[in-house]
Amino acid sequence: MFGINTGDTSPDRYHDVWLVVPAFNEASVIAEVIADVRTVFEHVVCVDDGSRDDTGERALAAGAHLVRHPVNLGQGAAIQTGVEYARSRPGAAVFVTFDADGQHRVKDVVRMIDRLVAENLDIVVGTRFGESAPQQMPRLRRILFPLIAKLSPASRKLGLTDAHNGLRVFNKTVADGLNLTMNGMSHASEFIAVVAEHNWRIAEEPVEILYTDYSMAKGQPLINGINIVFDGLLRGRMRK
Amino acid sequence: MNWIQVLLIASIVVLLVYLLRSRRNAQSKAWVKVGYVLFVMAAIYAVVRPDDTTVVANWLGVDRGADLMEYALVIAFLFTTLSAYMRFKDLELKYAQLARAIALEGARAPEDG
Repeated sequence: MFGINTGDTSPDRYHDVWLVVPAFNEASVIAEVIADVRTVFEHVVCVDDGSRDDTGERALAAGAHLVRHPVNLGQGAAIQTGVEYARSRPGAAVFVTFDADGQHRVKDVVRMIDRLVAENLDIVVGTRFGESAPQQMPRLRRILFPLIAKLSPASRKLGLTDAHNGLRVFNKTVADGLNLTMNGMSHASEFIAVVAEHNWRIAEEPVEILYTDYSMAKGQPLINGINIVFDGLLRGRMRK
Repeated sequence: MNWIQVLLIASIVVLLVYLLRSRRNAQSKAWVKVGYVLFVMAAIYAVVRPDDTTVVANWLGVDRGADLMEYALVIAFLFTTLSAYMRFKDLELKYAQLARAIALEGARAPEDG
């Protein structure tokens, strides 16, 4: 289904890659998602963000490392925890954030890693607006997401088209320098702001998002965009 | 523009700047306490001699003392709300760091599972 050439995507080739999968109440899909990424990537850490179901146990059984927040903190906090775990693993050199709801494709990750290495970049982020606007995406989102990207000073400076894509591939420099303080959904803009502050080399790679009924139901409501803009204004004035 | 308008806008801006720049050191906490004591004394005075607030209000171009009180209250409310919000954010961050430390302590690798 993913059309990957198994010859050059054996687990050996990506032994220095760590996938960070933040998950909150994803028990119905997590095992499948972990098993799917583990066909290509050996090292996966699932951060169970205080789920009330058995998301964590299922991820562990599917072969992921498991770090479990004792309470629910939000996706930003989960990503920070996962990156801190992964960057302390011996030999870890490439890091990937990957959503637990099955909306990302493994072959996009493979392409992004190849690009990170080939172009000597620090970070590659996925964009849903690469070649053409995604047809599957609901119309309001198709209009609003590029607008939000343009509103953020950091993503404007870096020329990004999609500041809220959960798929990111980055090197150890970024992983070591990352210190996300926005626990909730504002971490995506914070991530980009941190990249801009450090002048890390960034590129966007077109990716496809699988908008299933499940991922749509789990997605954040658009009104949350107001929180994101507000948190962006406060950023930098907070104690680190 | 009235004097009161200048004062109100200036105090809003000053409060915002103070709040956003403040690192909550011991000194600024002490000033908050001094300000609070002054505020209480002014409140008692206003209760005892309500007409005097109107005199002060007239100096500033406001008709009634009660109106002046309301403006002051609005400023105080804004200040309290924003400062509570910032404090909650700070606490939330510390709470996340604590939870993260616990989570990393109890990490499980698939082999042991």
